[in-house]
Amino acid sequence: MSLNTKRMIVAALSFLFLAALLVVAYQESQRFRVEEKLDPVVTAANSGCVDCHRKDSPALVMEWEDSRHAKFGVGCVDCHQAAAEDADGWMHEGARVAALVTPLDCARCHAREYEEFSRSHHAKAGLIINSLDNVLAVKVAGMPDNNADAINGCWQCHGSIVKLKRDEQGEVVRTGKEHRPVLDADTWPNSGMGRLNLDGSMGSCHACHSRHTFDAKISRSPENCGKCHMGPDHPQIEVYNESKHGIAFYASRDAMALDKDGEWVLGRDYSAAPTCASCHISAYMTPQGATVANTHDVGERISWTLRPAISKKQNLVVYDDGYKEDYMDSRPLPAVGDSIDTEEKYVESEQLLAKTVRRRVSRIVPWQDRRAAMKGACLNCHNDHYVDNFYEQFDGLVDLYNDKFGIPSTQMMNDLLADGVLDRNAPFEHHVQWVYWELWHHEGRRARHGASMMGPDYTHWHGMYEVSKHYYTEFLPAVIDAAAEKSSAMKQKYERRVAELLTRDEHLWVKGLSPKEAEELRKAYMKRYNQ
Amino acid sequence: MADAKLSPARRLQQLFPFDWSLLRHAGAEPVPYHLKKWWFCLGGTPLYLFLIQVLTGIALTFYYVPSPEEAYASVQAISTDIRFGWFIRSLHKWSSNLMIIAVFLHLLRVFFSGAYREPRQLNWMIGVGLLLTTLSFGFTGYSLIYEQLSFWGATVATNLADAVPLVGPYLAYFMRGGPEIGPQTLTRFFVLHVGVLPTVIFILLGLHILLVRLHGVTELQFEGEKLEERDRFFRFWPEHVTTELMIGVFLMYLLTILALIWPAQLGPPANPAVTPEVIKPEWYFYFNFRLLKLTSLNVSVVLTGVLLLIVIFWPFIEQWLVKRFRMPQSVSVGLGVAGFLGFLVFTVWESLAH
Repeated sequence: MSLNTKRMIVAALSFLFLAALLVVAYQESQRFRVEEKLDPVVTAANSGCVDCHRKDSPALVMEWEDSRHAKFGVGCVDCHQAAAEDADGWMHEGARVAALVTPLDCARCHAREYEEFSRSHHAKAGLIINSLDNVLAVKVAGMPDNNADAINGCWQCHGSIVKLKRDEQGEVVRTGKEHRPVLDADTWPNSGMGRLNLDGSMGSCHACHSRHTFDAKISRSPENCGKCHMGPDHPQIEVYNESKHGIAFYASRDAMALDKDGEWVLGRDYSAAPTCASCHISAYMTPQGATVANTHDVGERISWTLRPAISKKQNLVVYDDGYKEDYMDSRPLPAVGDSIDTEEKYVESEQLLAKTVRRRVSRIVPWQDRRAAMKGACLNCHNDHYVDNFYEQFDGLVDLYNDKFGIPSTQMMNDLLADGVLDRNAPFEHHVQWVYWELWHHEGRRARHGASMMGPDYTHWHGMYEVSKHYYTEFLPAVIDAAAEKSSAMKQKYERRVAELLTRDEHLWVKGLSPKEAEELRKAYMKRYNQ
Repeated sequence: MADAKLSPARRLQQLFPFDWSLLRHAGAEPVPYHLKKWWFCLGGTPLYLFLIQVLTGIALTFYYVPSPEEAYASVQAISTDIRFGWFIRSLHKWSSNLMIIAVFLHLLRVFFSGAYREPRQLNWMIGVGLLLTTLSFGFTGYSLIYEQLSFWGATVATNLADAVPLVGPYLAYFMRGGPEIGPQTLTRFFVLHVGVLPTVIFILLGLHILLVRLHGVTELQFEGEKLEERDRFFRFWPEHVTTELMIGVFLMYLLTILALIWPAQLGPPANPAVTPEVIKPEWYFYFNFRLLKLTSLNVSVVLTGVLLLIVIFWPFIEQWLVKRFRMPQSVSVGLGVAGFLGFLVFTVWESLAH
């Protein structure tokens, strides 16, 4: 090989080497692109907004400048733009905008998240509007012309039906030289999870992804969920805080990688503790090393419903168009391929309406699969023996609540309704209705939620202790009192019912032990202590 | 007082009185004709890869933390958070593998071309020393990652050391810094990897190259090849240097491509409480690992030691055999082929086994 040939080869190889180095540099630039702290990008469309609002609401602009949106040039108009048909839109400094950003606006970029979220329990949180909870706020606590309890209370978590303010003729009230439509103060501001929006969409992304930084660390933090998942009727955050999971989280918050951009995977990006998001939403490592993609359908991994008076295991029926329905295990499941009528609630012209839609079943997810999906998160830290035994403990508590209190008290209430003692249209007329309500809706849920997330005090003292005490000392006497108000015959009937009930094994303790039982117990103690 | 009229070159000469013509003389070393064939340049390849190891190794040391609590996390940070960290780590990993291959190939070539024979016996022994040092680099470096496999690889290796007759237990205790692998072990491996072994390899390399220069490169002539006297040698500069440069740039290209396609991976972190189902050392220890599986711990260690001693002292053993038993030199080639094939078969066997 001549010297010249060698030189040519050296030149050619150097060229190839440099080209390979360029590929390395490109890969590196791709890897670090999202993690860099870039300057906010103010596009031409947004520069006007930023200039004015920097003076009018400087903190808001600062927050946005700190967001990932700003780094990628996603600015005011991109989210606040309004179509001609958006009733709350108006022309503002040359652009048609709306104050309220809905999930449909976010879906322009986050289509997958929108799809998942809009099928979730979170998006449907506003459908409680006709429930007993709402009766309590609107009727019991409220007045015909003052709905402030529902507005400031229930709806700030469950969401309002957003409405435009109208005058006596029904015309939309407008204000200022730009004729901005005024939103009804009863319905907005509102960041409730299940907000029913003017454009027909359900939900509020802002409920978890607070504007205007939209920091992932907020939605990953348990406090974020604690805004709504707390209190006497569903104290999830309190239960979490007293659990080993919560203790570990607060002790090692710095090790949780809450700030990480992109995927946040349990078992890969962090290990110190699970937050609410870790178990219910986020990705986790599996024994095979793969990750389960995070889902914005928050109920997917829940196998029990702990919400109603009687808990049931819940299967999931998924239809061709992605629509989903929970089927309690007491309800017969359809077969894949069946066409069935489904009841779908929707919002149109500021009204919550319902329609029947025929849909084809495409998939059935049994409760066992939902539980397995949850266990996948648990298995990142615990072995299967541990996790299986935990679920046995948890199931045991739910069964206990159901069998001893939930089912018998509900049966008793149904009988009172059937006998005309209670009126379905007057849900809080009698004392027994209040006691029953708190028995399952407050105390019974506390017990079940406590067991579901390893909160011992909520399981017992705030939970089962309260349930049992009120069952014996308030509920059963109140049943008889309510019956007595109807007639003396009815009183006698329910006295008999209660007496019969108390002869069941689990209630024998109320009457004390028989001499024979006392002797048996004494023998057992003597044997135990070798006397 | 310095003479103001002195030229800068002369002034430099005054400040650093070195006879620069010596360098020119060194560069003018005549190189035997056969080195025009690139496969005779494999001695330079490990040197070249070693330089890459030094540079990438220094870069990695900036970020690596040699403590059991932080070692794995720091390697993870190098692979994911540090700019170009994955690339430097991949270069270091691939270059170490290629270096071991190159040293093996160089050894084979020297063996089969008989270049270890008198008067170059000592340089052969130094060369084997270099191979052992390189393998020690590979072993200690792999252990520093502190992932599950490297941890258990280190455990097996120190158990092997334990089985060496007489000194074994002391050697194993010294390696581990205690009766079992612990915080001391990682520190020791780190000091060996970035301090002791580099010093050893620098000394051995210096001696190795010095001896090559003092003895001159063995002249080879192939059958049927007739060379004119003026063709027997060619110049070190620029001819041979260009060949080396060619190999060098090719290696850089190859390493970059390997790093791009197969970047260095990271397994689960070391867990002393959980023994993985499959423990495997790096491929260059497959031979020993297979031997260990086929025999017992003690037998495999003694057998490896004996084989190693034969390899180290082969130039003298061969001389003795020829003198004493009139053994033809071709027997050496046969033994070499058998030894190499044995090594290859054991390595492939182990790589296919689970």
